[in-house]
Amino acid sequence: MSTPTQVYEPFRAGLPPLRRYWKSLWSRRTFIAEYSRSELREQHFDSAFGQLWLVLNPLLLSAVYFLLIVIIRGSSDSTRYAHLTATLFLFYLVANSLTGGVKSITAGQRLILNTAFPRIMLPISAVVIAIFKFLPTLAVFLVIRTVLGLPFSWQMLWAIPVLLTTMLLALGLAVTISCINVYFRDIASFLPYMTRTLLYLSPILYEAADLKPKLKTLELFNPLFPILDSWSRALVHGQAPISSHLLIALGWAVGIFLVGTYFFLSREREFAVRL
Amino acid sequence: MPSVSNSHKTNEIAVSVRGLGLTYTTAIDRRPTLKARVKSLGRGGKQTRVIRALDEVNLDVEYGQVLGIIGSNGAGKSSLMRVIAGILPPTQGRVEVYGSVSTLLALGVGFNPSMSGRDNVYLGGLAAGMSRVEIDSHFEEIAEFSELGDAIDAPMRTYSSGMYARLAFSVAATVRPDILIVDEALSTGDAKFKEKSLNRIKELRSDDRALILVSHAMATLEDVCNDVAWLHKGKLVQRGEPKTVIDAYREFLQVGKSAAIDEDV
Repeated sequence: MSTPTQVYEPFRAGLPPLRRYWKSLWSRRTFIAEYSRSELREQHFDSAFGQLWLVLNPLLLSAVYFLLIVIIRGSSDSTRYAHLTATLFLFYLVANSLTGGVKSITAGQRLILNTAFPRIMLPISAVVIAIFKFLPTLAVFLVIRTVLGLPFSWQMLWAIPVLLTTMLLALGLAVTISCINVYFRDIASFLPYMTRTLLYLSPILYEAADLKPKLKTLELFNPLFPILDSWSRALVHGQAPISSHLLIALGWAVGIFLVGTYFFLSREREFAVRL
Repeated sequence: MPSVSNSHKTNEIAVSVRGLGLTYTTAIDRRPTLKARVKSLGRGGKQTRVIRALDEVNLDVEYGQVLGIIGSNGAGKSSLMRVIAGILPPTQGRVEVYGSVSTLLALGVGFNPSMSGRDNVYLGGLAAGMSRVEIDSHFEEIAEFSELGDAIDAPMRTYSSGMYARLAFSVAATVRPDILIVDEALSTGDAKFKEKSLNRIKELRSDDRALILVSHAMATLEDVCNDVAWLHKGKLVQRGEPKTVIDAYREFLQVGKSAAIDEDV
């Protein structure tokens, strides 16, 4: 008698066998690519006007916030506008991952109830979609930067590790919130308030260095704080980021990713009965 | 599952289910929310109830067998299928599967109603572990069998339930797994398509394949299957010759051979 291709037995609490999980996930990587492609196509981002909207939306947003800064502070300069756009665009990478990720499991109900696959594929796809939406805005920022006449420097390459850290953080957050939403469906409705709060707590409308000493503790509790500050230093000011900020950012990203993924993987086998 | 191409012989074991138990907790609330949870905090009320879906089920399926599963609503038929497909982990017992399972993949098609039928077929297939090339090679046949025509490129939210079921069945019947599970939801559609799908199931009966059909259509099962298992409240009541088991089930239902049961609904 041959050996069984699959054996299903009761599982203990904790993680599924990670190697098998990873193999199964890796063999389905085309799903993630195909899913993001179909999703973007469905939102018309394959057409010229769709692409234009993708860029126009964050541009209009940055224009509105720039107006706000000019009115509140009385004046502003080109560096500040560059800072605003750069950080706002990166912030939207994280925010879009969260809004896309939160319903990824609950919306995939049909698929989850009828097909065996690593559930984490769904929040990963949401993050990949957010990254595809982010890339054109990065190009727009570089154009803005050139138009504003800010000097280019090699130090700007620091933006690459910062971006990778942000992606890891976005993935960790998306995985976590998609899992929480299975148990508490109203998280999706709270999310806009949470992202809005995060926006104001992060150095986007202001620069990290402008923060009053009394509010410095904010830095400690907001993972986006060191990320956005490093991003702005590298891309806008052409300086190397503060190394402690880089390390704190990486620590947050790895921490949230590991905790969120553990939480997700140890729960995902009961998603099918929770949906 | 990726399709395994090694062939199986008749009477070789395909699925072995031993002492299978499945319990799960579901939320009492229609939708579990944080708000509801916070509101009930002080009262200490129970949030969930435990459902025993399957209890000590032993079942072997061999290659060459066409097994019909019958039972009233809530008997655990779909739960059993989902355990065999690896979607629900068992609470007790052990399930061994020798070969590739259709993983009910067909019903996962259409999980994203805003995408076209074509996109949904590809996504459902990729999620089930098939490769793009594999789906490419089956796609024409799927589209043709479903008779959807140009509608295959329309968003699935514009589909009628009949069109939906036709596409789902076409996927299940075209992708030829070693072990094919067809849940009753697949057998909807108009009379013409129903006959066509029944013929397809008969074609699919072969020595190196195991078929498991979940249905309330007794006449169909008696016609197609060579083995029938009857589930009731999570327990296996009887298994054996289609006619014997179906007759016993009919007697149990105390409706005899009335038109309501024979009707392929």
